[in-house]
Amino acid sequence: MKRVAVVVAIVGGLTALFLFGLLRGAPDRNVPSNLLNRPVPTFDLPVYERYQAEFGPRLDLADHAGRPMVINFWASWCGPCYAEAPFLEAAQRRYGDRVLFIGIQTQERDARAAGRAFIDRFDFTFPNVIDDDSRISIAYGLFGVPETFFVRADGTLDHKHVGPVDAAVLAERVEALLR
Amino acid sequence: MRRLRRRLALAAVAALLLGATQAQDIMLDPEVFEIGNELRCPTCVAESVAESNASIAREMRQIIQEQLDEGRTRGEILAFFQDRYGDWILLSPPRRGMLLLVWLLPVAAVLVAGGGLFLLVRRWRAAADAVMPVAAEDLERVRAALAGAEGRSLAGAEARAPDTDEATPRAPAPRP
Repeated sequence: MKRVAVVVAIVGGLTALFLFGLLRGAPDRNVPSNLLNRPVPTFDLPVYERYQAEFGPRLDLADHAGRPMVINFWASWCGPCYAEAPFLEAAQRRYGDRVLFIGIQTQERDARAAGRAFIDRFDFTFPNVIDDDSRISIAYGLFGVPETFFVRADGTLDHKHVGPVDAAVLAERVEALLR
Repeated sequence: MRRLRRRLALAAVAALLLGATQAQDIMLDPEVFEIGNELRCPTCVAESVAESNASIAREMRQIIQEQLDEGRTRGEILAFFQDRYGDWILLSPPRRGMLLLVWLLPVAAVLVAGGGLFLLVRRWRAAADAVMPVAAEDLERVRAALAGAEGRSLAGAEARAPDTDEATPRAPAPRP
């Protein structure tokens, strides 16, 4: 009798654990960042041709100090980056006069043609720069792509979002920057 | 300078033989891989920076090499990555705060299991050595039963005891 109770307890425990894994829902995208509330690392990176008339051949983050920013890391091989791209462009058109959106192509070396195709496909109107050696993604403590950093006007990190953003996340986080 | 030239020559030969990626690694000091073994590759599953061939891991190895060349210590280099990624980046969790539990719990588990086993064995041995209390009348009944059994077995033995003739095997009867 005692042995049956032990077997039932073990099987019941494992079943409960299995069901918890199945039913716990989508993964938490609010991954804590070591940069939270600290100034984000600065960078000076080459700019894609279509933005050079407005931003010059390189974009130095220090030149834009004092503006809230949304910094999005992407790669042309990254599926979720394609899923979130239309939301980023829509947010740029809505908030672009108050918030600087920057796209950073990272974790792929010498992939200019693929990068241009990605940008043209979504007709990004915000500047996109190239982090060829992934140094900036390391400086930002990136785990993968896409990741989006919401930076306050004083240059400190307000929030980091891991995985693709959508309209609701962008609206909530950008509004928080503007408050 | 001579060391750098030797590394470059080695890398050039390796580049021809193995391709650019491996050649880049041959240029690195062995200490880069020792430090890389302590760091988790951010974009991989269960791989260290030393083992992974992901572009970010290769770049991290390069950063480690540059910092070694600048004279930074192993602790300073690990702290550089820890500052960006937090404790998560370290494959051996630091021995402080809640993470101390990761180190202490296995030791505590072994001690508790060992202690439990020791107590259990001691109890078993004590139970085996213990004299069981028996009521006097039970003891008497057992003695009487044993005495009876002894008597019966002696009598039986006598009845079965063979005399010398009986014990001699008989010759088979002649065939007609």
